[in-house]
Amino acid sequence: MYNDKNAQTIVDYIQNFTRKNSLFMLAYGTGCGAIELPATLTSRYDAERLGVRGAATPRQADLLLITGYLSTKTLKRVIRVYEQMQDPKYVIGFGSCTINGGMYWDSYNTIKLLDKYIPVDVYINGCMPRPESVISGFQELKRLIAAGKADGAKKYKENLEWYRENQKKVLKNWPLVEYNW
Amino acid sequence: MGTTYSKEEILAQQLQTAFEHLITEVVRKDTVFAFATKEQVSSILLYAKEKLGYISFVHLSCVDWLESGEFELVYIIWSPETKINLFVKTRLDRENPSMENTDMIWRQINTYQREIREMFGVEFPGFVGEKEFILEDWEDAPPMRRDFDTLEYVNDTFFEREGREDKQDVRERIAKRSGEEIPDFAKKYSRE
Repeated sequence: MYNDKNAQTIVDYIQNFTRKNSLFMLAYGTGCGAIELPATLTSRYDAERLGVRGAATPRQADLLLITGYLSTKTLKRVIRVYEQMQDPKYVIGFGSCTINGGMYWDSYNTIKLLDKYIPVDVYINGCMPRPESVISGFQELKRLIAAGKADGAKKYKENLEWYRENQKKVLKNWPLVEYNW
Repeated sequence: MGTTYSKEEILAQQLQTAFEHLITEVVRKDTVFAFATKEQVSSILLYAKEKLGYISFVHLSCVDWLESGEFELVYIIWSPETKINLFVKTRLDRENPSMENTDMIWRQINTYQREIREMFGVEFPGFVGEKEFILEDWEDAPPMRRDFDTLEYVNDTFFEREGREDKQDVRERIAKRSGEEIPDFAKKYSRE
């Protein structure tokens, strides 16, 4: 295999296979949607049979769920948490609030488009999405990871200035750290 | 035997005896309004707490009366003996609104005053509390005021997802598709 021209493909395949089957989800709920996660993770829907389970700290987690509306105050912490997470990392936008503002479309204190501030791999629509749709979102993410298309973290690294510009538009007097990877 | 008074009427009488020119109103069972001037409020609260047994503070809220140019502060207190909610209402001028600090009567008022100062811009002179409460880095007008245009602020600050135009009137399209007719009385609700 050492000189095989498909070596990188095989390594990628194994890497993606292992990554998609052990997703550690950060136990961090930002809005009302977090109430669906206990149901998703416990015995009835049992997301752990699909390899998804909770992680206690950002550095141990692979998966960040933005569950529902995201106020500008929480956005600061979400950005901080997202930047603390180690590669590979994936983001799921959960509920219609992250997609287009949802019922908070004219609220002065909640953001409307999540993917302008942090890269999102999968959106789950619904208000609220039931555990079935959450699991279907996990399956979609796994499909993207297996295909090597869940590259939000790479996008964030490459377009950091663009994301920072959008973030600074709402977070005016907040120090955003310039990271180097 | 004369007429018997309900407990609400007795409370209204007690307040009117103690405070001159105080207007009281028995709204319904267990609810009494007292319309006080700005200067009377703290003495009414203290009197109700110490003498009449209204020991429980329920809520302090603010109402924006934009048309008459006033803010209305509503203090709700409750007595476990009579089970009456007493609403003490007072009107403030909308230009430079300020109200006496009352958090020495109930210290819970401190939190409510912080919220009202941030959301409505009502000042409470001599009141010690952190400037920021719910909002952070807020530079605009206090957002709960009715003349604060939320939609304009949102359009300036946040992004709109493209490819979606809300508020479209799709009833005619649906009626055409399913071969129905919109009745005349419903046509006046058309948005066009």
